[in-house]
Amino acid sequence: MHLLNRVEAIAFAARGFPWLGDLTPSSIQRWIGLELGTLLDANTPQIYGDHHCSARALSPILHVVSGNTPHAGIQSLTRGILVGGTNRVKLPRQGLPEFDHFVRLLPAELQPETSNSLQAAWMEEAEAIIVFGSDETVEFFAKHVSPRQRLLAYGHKVSLGLVLDSFDANVIEGAVRDVLVFDQLGCLSPQLFYVAGDSAEFAKGLAERFNELFLSDSAVTEWTSEIAGSLRSCREEWKFRAATEPGIQVWESPESLDWLVIHDPNPSLISNPLYRTIFVKPVPAYLQSVLSPIRRQISTIGVHPVKSNTVELATQLGAQRVCPIGRMQKPAVTWHHDGAPTLANLVRFVDVEGLA
Amino acid sequence: MNIALEEEILCFLQRSDEEKFEAIALRLYEHQKRRNPAYSRYCEFVCQSELIDSWKKIPAVPQQAFKYSELRSFPANQTAAEFRTSGTTGQGFGRHFLGSLRLYQTAVQKGWDYFDLPRHPLILLMQHPEKAEFSSLSRMGGILSNYRSDSFYVNSEGIVEVDRLRTFLWNRTDPVTLFGPALAFLNLLEEISDLPLPPGSIVMETGGFKGMDREIGKGDLYARLSRCFRIEVDFIWNEYGMTELSSQFYSHGVGQPHSAPPWLRFLIINPTTNSEASPGEVGLLRIFDVANLWSVLAVQTQDLAVAQPGGGFRLLGRDPAALPRGCSRSMDELMQNRTSFKREKQGSWP
Repeated sequence: MHLLNRVEAIAFAARGFPWLGDLTPSSIQRWIGLELGTLLDANTPQIYGDHHCSARALSPILHVVSGNTPHAGIQSLTRGILVGGTNRVKLPRQGLPEFDHFVRLLPAELQPETSNSLQAAWMEEAEAIIVFGSDETVEFFAKHVSPRQRLLAYGHKVSLGLVLDSFDANVIEGAVRDVLVFDQLGCLSPQLFYVAGDSAEFAKGLAERFNELFLSDSAVTEWTSEIAGSLRSCREEWKFRAATEPGIQVWESPESLDWLVIHDPNPSLISNPLYRTIFVKPVPAYLQSVLSPIRRQISTIGVHPVKSNTVELATQLGAQRVCPIGRMQKPAVTWHHDGAPTLANLVRFVDVEGLA
Repeated sequence: MNIALEEEILCFLQRSDEEKFEAIALRLYEHQKRRNPAYSRYCEFVCQSELIDSWKKIPAVPQQAFKYSELRSFPANQTAAEFRTSGTTGQGFGRHFLGSLRLYQTAVQKGWDYFDLPRHPLILLMQHPEKAEFSSLSRMGGILSNYRSDSFYVNSEGIVEVDRLRTFLWNRTDPVTLFGPALAFLNLLEEISDLPLPPGSIVMETGGFKGMDREIGKGDLYARLSRCFRIEVDFIWNEYGMTELSSQFYSHGVGQPHSAPPWLRFLIINPTTNSEASPGEVGLLRIFDVANLWSVLAVQTQDLAVAQPGGGFRLLGRDPAALPRGCSRSMDELMQNRTSFKREKQGSWP
């Protein structure tokens, strides 16, 4: 199928999935143009410096998709289709209904082969292997790919927010939205906010907004026993600490486990069970050293305000993406996932010299 | 120190008159609220003016509280013993202070006898308390073995002395009790596959091993123990205790409930509502141990369990690593990797 038709097909299928971002034909074309110019489009090699060049998909592409994050699987497939590869997808054992739904909206010839188990032949035949998962999963594939195969590994990440100037209701609203999307299970979901100034006031503002949102929604979230147990343990632990340590404050959803906001004056990194649990801490003078244990695992830092100095600070802290608070879960379609191009890594460039 | 209350509880442990549980628990609660500043502040925080007129209403501190506060109901300069958790979460260890060991010793001995556990010679897969002064499990082993150093089979380096164990069991016909943490058994099973215990022996394992380097289900572990020691699965016991408590629950075989001696009670708590779960519902295990005079009698664990119709509970445990986290990274994991955290050879307890 020609590139233009593939673009149209992706844009059509993505219409029912607003959380995939801006996937209109024009935005997709712009994305391709930014990463590959016209190299993917042309039937003949294009002038490229002193020679010619074309881009051909690595194919087949094996996508190994983890559970709970259907958007990552769909994005990965989208990239594979756009470059023109044959796509094979190893889905999690429990399946991924959103992914299946997306696939059904594609023309038959673009639909990938899927399997709930890893096929040995797929591993062997793949020219590119895209893996989403834990360190263990990534390590497994790293050990099993051959040097002739390209491995693109997207491990689990940490994201956080930085409020570096006075904030208003819009910043609070944005922060709450960033926490809510995907129940905070995305690698772009903030696990904590560092706040310059009155951090307790920011935490209180978050709690009030969560409360308003969940008061208007009468359905109490039903978590599994394991998740509920973990959330209950977290809030009881922090309530004990709030009772016995100065400066710690806890706001919780009444009679439910819908959300939890904790203000902790200690800037150290802390374990977070997620599922709408958010920590707020003051910005310490030594933030870089506090974040150094997670520096290589940071994905997105949402900042307020977005200015050259705040962007520079976030970049120094290790961010691979910096954005305004409120847009943490909405990366541009052209973003460099984990700091690398998403399409250009799925092609081989064919350089041709001597062509008139 | 409240010697009179200690005497009263000792008496209760020795006579096991269940009807007295509630009255003693409520008196102990009042005592601890008065004498234990951290607990007092917590009670104020969580129940304010609520009337505490039943043992079920006594505020339970989260198990992790032992990491953050010195939960003492007695003056610090009168500390007789300190037990520490293994700190497997990477956020430091919990500390349990005791003003005297009398209640702890009695709870261990009387609990063992309450379940008619045999008084065979002990083979303890743990270090002697002199080498592990902060280990409550080693202390328990010491109490049960009368501190005989030849009963302990883990050396100063934390290695199980397999050759000495083989020699001890060689041609032995009298039954023994082989007692240790699950992780020590796993280590042992890596080195030996066949070490028959004399007829009538029992195995007592304790502690979890989820989240450790190796994971194995209870059924699999018991099957391997049964093969190695040539003992029926029903003769393999589990002791469920923790550093933060003074008393222990026991179960035997696979799928059997854990039961308590009369001075130890539990509730299953619905994690969503934080109130008592309906019968058959999975919830968090909350424990009330009146032998915990020196700290806090009510402890909210992080373990999931289900109350059983005939009494006791079926332990489901916990495995934070198994919680779905999407692609969001666990901060714990990163911090533990960073510090190259080394787990204790004996494993955590539980």
